[in-house]
Amino acid sequence: MKDKTLIFGNGPCAHYIAEDLLSTGEDIVIATTDKTCDFSPSEHSESIEILTDTRLVSCRGSVGDFRILAARNNKEIKRTVAGVIVAEEDQRKSNFSLYGLKASSCVITLSQAKELLLDSSHKQSIFLKAKKVVFLTGLVKESHPAIAEEIMHSALRLQSDFNLQTYILTANLKVAADGLEALCRETKEAGAVYIKFTDTRPEIHSKSNDSVQIEFVDEITLKKFRLTPDITVVDETIVPSDYAVDLAKLLSINTDPDGFVQADNVHRFTVFTNRKGIMVAGPSRSIQTYSDQITDAANAALVSAGRMAGLQIVPEDRAEIDKGLCIRCLTCYRLCPYRAIMLNTRVVVEPHACERCGICAAQCPRGAIHIKDLEPESISNEMATGERLQEEDTFMPFLVAFCCSRSAIQSGELSLRMGHKLPPGLKVIEVPCSGSISFDHIYGAFERNADGVMVLTCHEGNCHSEQGNIYAKQTVAQIMDMFLQIGFEKERLAVQTLASNMGTEFAEMVNRFEANIIELGPSRLKKNQ
Amino acid sequence: MGNKNVLIIGGGTAGLSAAVELVNLDIHVDLVEKSDFLGGHAIGYTCKATRNTCVKCGACMVEEKLKDTILHPKIKIWTGSRVQEVSKNGRFTAKIHCKPKYIDPHKCTNCRICFDKCPVDGAILHGFSKNNIPFYAINEELCLYLKDKSCGLCRDECPETAINLDPKATEYIKEADAVLVAAGFHPFNPEDKPYGYHRFQNVITSLDLERMLKQVGRVKRPSDATIPERIAFIQCVGSRDSKLNHLWCSKVCCGSALRMARLLKERQPDIDISFFYIDVQTFGKDFEQFYKDVQEEVRMIRAIPGDIYETDRQKLKINFLDNNTHETLEEIFDLVVLSIGITPGKDNGEIAELLHLKLADSGFFKSGAEEASAPNTGIFSAGTISGAMSIPETIASAGKAARQIVKYFRANDS
Repeated sequence: MKDKTLIFGNGPCAHYIAEDLLSTGEDIVIATTDKTCDFSPSEHSESIEILTDTRLVSCRGSVGDFRILAARNNKEIKRTVAGVIVAEEDQRKSNFSLYGLKASSCVITLSQAKELLLDSSHKQSIFLKAKKVVFLTGLVKESHPAIAEEIMHSALRLQSDFNLQTYILTANLKVAADGLEALCRETKEAGAVYIKFTDTRPEIHSKSNDSVQIEFVDEITLKKFRLTPDITVVDETIVPSDYAVDLAKLLSINTDPDGFVQADNVHRFTVFTNRKGIMVAGPSRSIQTYSDQITDAANAALVSAGRMAGLQIVPEDRAEIDKGLCIRCLTCYRLCPYRAIMLNTRVVVEPHACERCGICAAQCPRGAIHIKDLEPESISNEMATGERLQEEDTFMPFLVAFCCSRSAIQSGELSLRMGHKLPPGLKVIEVPCSGSISFDHIYGAFERNADGVMVLTCHEGNCHSEQGNIYAKQTVAQIMDMFLQIGFEKERLAVQTLASNMGTEFAEMVNRFEANIIELGPSRLKKNQ
Repeated sequence: MGNKNVLIIGGGTAGLSAAVELVNLDIHVDLVEKSDFLGGHAIGYTCKATRNTCVKCGACMVEEKLKDTILHPKIKIWTGSRVQEVSKNGRFTAKIHCKPKYIDPHKCTNCRICFDKCPVDGAILHGFSKNNIPFYAINEELCLYLKDKSCGLCRDECPETAINLDPKATEYIKEADAVLVAAGFHPFNPEDKPYGYHRFQNVITSLDLERMLKQVGRVKRPSDATIPERIAFIQCVGSRDSKLNHLWCSKVCCGSALRMARLLKERQPDIDISFFYIDVQTFGKDFEQFYKDVQEEVRMIRAIPGDIYETDRQKLKINFLDNNTHETLEEIFDLVVLSIGITPGKDNGEIAELLHLKLADSGFFKSGAEEASAPNTGIFSAGTISGAMSIPETIASAGKAARQIVKYFRANDS
């Protein structure tokens, strides 16, 4: 198998990744929807293929063996690659409507202003005749340092090269990027005026001749001002390109609440997605400055070049589907966060893509999926070691806590290290993800004489398997319903969230739970009752 | 690359992240950390999740990097150690100075007896993570035995005889093929600001609050352990300050402070929180929603207070110019949290000299375009040594440095 990396994109980040991977002898394919590709490798040209005017149609397979189907002029292009990097661009949406303005010769977007300033001849520039330029940013929606940086650079040019007066009207001035605070001071020294609004906003009027009039009360001096700029520059909202969003759908990678092509999950730092072997770098995953893109490119190259090392050994402890029991209901296929379930002649698990979260096994209605050491029986056996009989008169409840290996297990150990006292009858059971917990696990614990069962899982949005904690909550809720119907105390079951660094909170949770169970007394399901 | 070795200076977020990346590529690592504990400042940070939902501060990822580091056989960990000399003759040769190992990590069971028995507050330090091994360390500055041999309680009481108060410092010579500087930042010391830090007990820093929340999960007044009714957060302490010539935004303080403020409101809803700021910086995804929500829970005041005075019962009086009334107001708070900025590491000068590098005027290491001018020195940098960064940014910069190192090795082998 040839270890080839497919890069989607034709911007600086895509080119950086290409250059970087070529420099260490990797084979790459660049695919762009653009008619031409500006990338020209300085060397190693035999290792690169460039596909222009090409759109992805489908991607099958998994890490090490992605089978790509793309289209160019209605012609099919097929490639097999080991890894994929989405390094598409962002796009700008004008914010005219937020300020009640319309585009005109004197109301322009920040991108237009930047373009006008890039033109070195600037003989035709509208800035030549202008005296006052107003920048509007972050007054309706919060701005971003990437936008602020462009405004500051533009204002600096206008002040120094065009000798005109700039005003920057903003709410919160975004300076949280390298060098911005210093740049801001430079623009002020060059004469730019910053007017900040907190509780009020300027009134922006669009006149019939397209000119703009801005009235406001300065919040510090309380004086009224009227600005009649010759040119008004309106900020923009940065969103991922449409094609990047399409790619996310085609590649089954999760997006964030702002629409960017990477789930907002700490486990995806820096360039990872929910799919092994597919990465996302550059401005389609978040709003980025130029140096962010360079950093992303290096990270994508780092992971790509190191990918093969992880594929040498086929892991043996991954999910396996019993073909005799499987009825092809595709529950596993729908729920697998890593897209590790393959629909071939039968449904199979691709071991390299499987992360052993156990969601499929817990959710399979036929019980057809098995993961070594995660079976309810083997976990029940583990429980036996913590099982204790009633000691004399005092009731010491036997508590089982199913703990996610990434969060609760860690916080439990930290809790002990910090010197917290934990319930003496607490048995902690490690599971790779709380999504692996099924009815059988929980009921099995009560059958094994547990007086109370806790499921301790990650906070929402922090699950490595994206939704495993949500499935765990649903499972627990269903069982609680059932308990309610059969008249068994549902308080004997609890689900709570933790992070790996919450030692104090772990102790609080289990101790509070123990107190509740002591109040309830021994479970009626106990065999020795 | 099984025969390559990288010397990493600094065992915080950047050093740990880079170490994990490098060993994944079969490169050996010597990780040298001057303090007794790995994890840097961030290992003391609290989880700031509210409403059972992660707010993506990244603190738990530092925990994960630390776990991966201590489990990896190819990472040699040097805590309580400093790199003292570095010479280059093809490879790098470094002298590593290790301060005495008072607690034997193989014998210590972290039973905490030493910590509980020690008569001097702070003379036995503890870590913040279960992966800080051992979890305890002797503070050379405060230990009575090291001062005048007047105490030896910890050694005598240790059931495992893990404590030896008379060991010698040691020195080792290590060879490396590349050096990665990841020595981190210095949290701004606000003692010189007119806020009374270290003079007034109830003025604490954001770092103090992070640790307090991580340790006990609730905020209390240091003076009397009561729950404060009114808390003031003051932003930009040591950042965006032309008098100090700190012409940078520390990037992380708005996110850290506002996330902690919301956490406090969730856990201790009776506390009133006021937030003094210049500009609220954008952080995380879905910031628009976060900012809307936080304004409902926290009183936002766009002003930076001038002075803080202590009043009766160790309350704190703050003067500030009110935006709405345009008058100077005086308000009393029970606790003040100073959001201290990211400033250049105290050792930056020394490390730069050791490696024959020049610092930027700000005191940080040079980064970005400037750093790329010398790609062939075999010396690389990662993390906040070159300026303010969040945890995700630090992890990304460590990945970038790891890739640069790999490319350096490739280029110099062919």
